[in-house]
Amino acid sequence: MAPSRLASPSSAGAAPPRLIEIVAALATGSLLTLMLLSNSTMAAHTTPLFSSLTAHGVGTVVAGIVLAALWPMHRTGTGRSARSPGRAPLWAYLGGLSGALTVMLTSSAANSMLALTGTLAIGLAGQVVLALIFDCLGAMGLEKRLPRRKDLFALAAIVAGTILIIFARGMG
Amino acid sequence: MAAMILFAFAAGMLVTLSRQINGRLAVETSALQSSFWNHLVGFVALAVVTVFAGSFWPDGASGAPWLAWIGGAVGVAFVGGGSWLIPRLGAAMTGGLLVAGQMLSGVVLDLARGQDAIFWMQIAGVCLILTGVFISRR
Repeated sequence: MAPSRLASPSSAGAAPPRLIEIVAALATGSLLTLMLLSNSTMAAHTTPLFSSLTAHGVGTVVAGIVLAALWPMHRTGTGRSARSPGRAPLWAYLGGLSGALTVMLTSSAANSMLALTGTLAIGLAGQVVLALIFDCLGAMGLEKRLPRRKDLFALAAIVAGTILIIFARGMG
Repeated sequence: MAAMILFAFAAGMLVTLSRQINGRLAVETSALQSSFWNHLVGFVALAVVTVFAGSFWPDGASGAPWLAWIGGAVGVAFVGGGSWLIPRLGAAMTGGLLVAGQMLSGVVLDLARGQDAIFWMQIAGVCLILTGVFISRR
């Protein structure tokens, strides 16, 4: 019953995001615009599959180079915190499978009657619904957190604004 | 059509799933390592699909502009950022704020490129998103 009482102040997830985290999230999200522009340019010249393949390949090389460059610092850096390295279960390394599968589903849905606009809007719903479930469950070993009522209002406003923008483009 | 709606919905759920898994790996290792494994495993999976479905060097690949090749590099920062954020903000707020950043920058890009769109809907959307971001801080 009384859902407004669910998120008690004692819950670790109850604190509002810090400003730095919001700025980081908005900046990271804006990278996606650039990434999609790049990947869709490649897809237009070739195929969605090749575009995703090269994006993952280039990403692997770039991340590998940066990791190698930072490795000395990493080894001599401050001692590791609570968790020791190499403790991650095998499945935690497989997030990329899900990302690869997304490409297949999205490119077939976007080419159907749904078009890109519908695919984006429905995809957004799927994304938010599962995220709320994951938060409530503390899925994959991440912290369990019940969303605050304000979090839900914030999400609703962001989703509504996003739908407007997606359809503004689709109907333009 | 119903199958396509399911596909689109599942695709959105997969975005959340991969972010959750990558976030878990980042907690044990680092955001950058999590991004590296995400790209490597994704690459191997897509390479296997390519063996069956497509060509490793389709016509047009040579003619693609430099912009088409940098998506992966940007993706490293995007996935790393998501992995850093999710243990801090939770899946829902991370997803919401990433989408907010994507949409705000997307509108700026659309306006800059003179993309056809209904202007008042874009502005209303931006206002709603900014309101949402503001509420999340309260």
